Amino acid sequence: MAVQQQRWRSRLLLPVFLFLLTTIYVAATFQITPQFSEGFVGPRFLPLLAALLMYAALAHIIWRDLASDETSETGSFLQPVAVVLATAVYIAVFKPLGYSLATLLYVFFLFHIFHYQQGRPARRLLYAVAVTAVFYGLFALVFGIRLPTLLDVI
Amino acid sequence: MDFFLDLLQGFATLARPDVLAYMVLGFVIGTFFGAVPGLTSVLAIALLLPITYSMDVVPSLVMCAAIFMSGMYAGSITATTINIPGAPSSMMTAIEGYALMKKGEGANALGHAALGSMIGGSLGALLLMALMPLAAKASLLIQTPGKFALVLFALVVIVIVQRGAVAKGVVATMLGVMIATIGIDVMQPIPRFNFGTEMLVEGIDMMPIIIGTFAISEVLYQAYHNRDDIHLSLSKAASVTIRRRDFLPPLGQIRQIGLFTYLKSSLLGYGIGILPGVGGSMAAFVAYADAKRRSERPDEYGHGSREGIAAAEAANNSMCGGAFVPMLMFGIPGDPTTAIVLGVLVINGLQPGPRLLETQADLIAPMLASLFISALVLIPLTLFLLGPWFVRIVSIPKGLLYACIAVVALVGSFVATFSIFQMGLALLFGILAFFLRQQNYPTVSLLLGFILGPDLEQYLRRSLSLSDGNPMVFLTSPDSLFFLALMAMFLYFMVIRRPKEI
Repeated sequence: MAVQQQRWRSRLLLPVFLFLLTTIYVAATFQITPQFSEGFVGPRFLPLLAALLMYAALAHIIWRDLASDETSETGSFLQPVAVVLATAVYIAVFKPLGYSLATLLYVFFLFHIFHYQQGRPARRLLYAVAVTAVFYGLFALVFGIRLPTLLDVI
Repeated sequence: MDFFLDLLQGFATLARPDVLAYMVLGFVIGTFFGAVPGLTSVLAIALLLPITYSMDVVPSLVMCAAIFMSGMYAGSITATTINIPGAPSSMMTAIEGYALMKKGEGANALGHAALGSMIGGSLGALLLMALMPLAAKASLLIQTPGKFALVLFALVVIVIVQRGAVAKGVVATMLGVMIATIGIDVMQPIPRFNFGTEMLVEGIDMMPIIIGTFAISEVLYQAYHNRDDIHLSLSKAASVTIRRRDFLPPLGQIRQIGLFTYLKSSLLGYGIGILPGVGGSMAAFVAYADAKRRSERPDEYGHGSREGIAAAEAANNSMCGGAFVPMLMFGIPGDPTTAIVLGVLVINGLQPGPRLLETQADLIAPMLASLFISALVLIPLTLFLLGPWFVRIVSIPKGLLYACIAVVALVGSFVATFSIFQMGLALLFGILAFFLRQQNYPTVSLLLGFILGPDLEQYLRRSLSLSDGNPMVFLTSPDSLFFLALMAMFLYFMVIRRPKEI
């Protein structure tokens, strides 16, 4: 019962989040100041219409979810959260550390999350170096794109 | 006449070694992405999008067309061998193909899938080339109220094709529309929804949405599921020996399927491709259902019907040609892949519309030629050359694969604009799309809403300002009335009188 209630709650989280997002959006709609009047259908019209349709659809989804016993897909959120954190760190250090070092660490960490070459750290590192090198070749050498470097070296 | 000369020139351009190499590369990439369960040709083109910033427009478009065609076909590989469709459009092929695989006739099923794809893909591309000038002339007749009604029709179709999940379709589409309203207004020079930041004044670029929705979310989704069962099935299937000569379908079987099945399924696929947001899955489903309905051997369906494979594959590959019509003529993508190809066009300064054929046919023609050659030559050639190793090729370890996708997606979104902000946005949209996918919201609708939202608003406001705010203009203008009537018809048949399930 407790597990079912938790699943039911987790299913409601997204519609409720979108409901709040739409409310912020509607509040911002009223801050739009048109430069000239276009009548009823001005710069606020479509945003308000979209928000209205969104509210109606979300209300329907929430109502149906409250009544239904359906279970949504199951899986573990731990790995996606780890991927998101790793990606956020990668984005943050991409310029300061440069492409090579940041990508090497990122790929190594992703291998760890996806259990690739588990128990073989040397091979995992080797593959991470290879992936980093292959995409460096693609972006920098084939397409001639200047990627960020650490201290103008790598 | 000029357009047909441009088309011939397009075929000649395709013979250039560099362009040919890009087409073959695109085809191989599309085959790989289409065949690996979880990866799609949409993802392949999404990853290619940032790279097109550094490429010429002709090779970019040629590559996109080859990826589109091969991705649609390649879904049948794992659908047949391990009963897991590489692409959603191969769902029907999985039902029949895997049944044949279990009987030890997997190679024959793959051969029929390739033949159906080859015929459907080639016919779809030919129809596209032949009818393009007519479509361009017809599109010139559509005025602003008509354009509004057409975009509205497209958005309504996008929502109602989400059978059983219309409310979720509305949410995803409106989310796309809402994201598209961020930035400068379509009619007045005022910023909207920038929340006081300068970064949002210019609005949100299509690229982080595409990368986030299709690439980052895929990595997160795979991390969430961590499906080792696919790789177990793949390694099991890889041990089965497949001989090249078994790929060739016997003439007797082709006769039994009949030319009519190939032609009708191709026409159905092409027609469904023209409808915005419908895509290959619906094309395969409708053609399969139609073939089953009028089949002389309906009891074979579900137990390894070659006719069912031929119908579904001819339709989903023919859809590729149809999907380009609304995208090239109106900027309305027929499916997610053409939505991203639209991005490639826009990045390269090409404006979809009837004038595209007059002014930039030389850039478009090689893409259409690539679509045709990919279907006619590369599908059978790939099956013959790579067929025996298909399953081994797609058995790449998941960790390696998704690490590569993540790097291409993120570095790609950086190199397109040299902006860390774009990388951050891609991650943000990836997280959003992941949660949407996890709860069965159609993320493709988000992208289509994002693309069509600004057009809808612009045509609506322009029409009303031209008619002094009189909304009756949408009913008195014949083109607008036509699309509104079409929309009402679709609503009636798809929502009120729902089609039966197979």
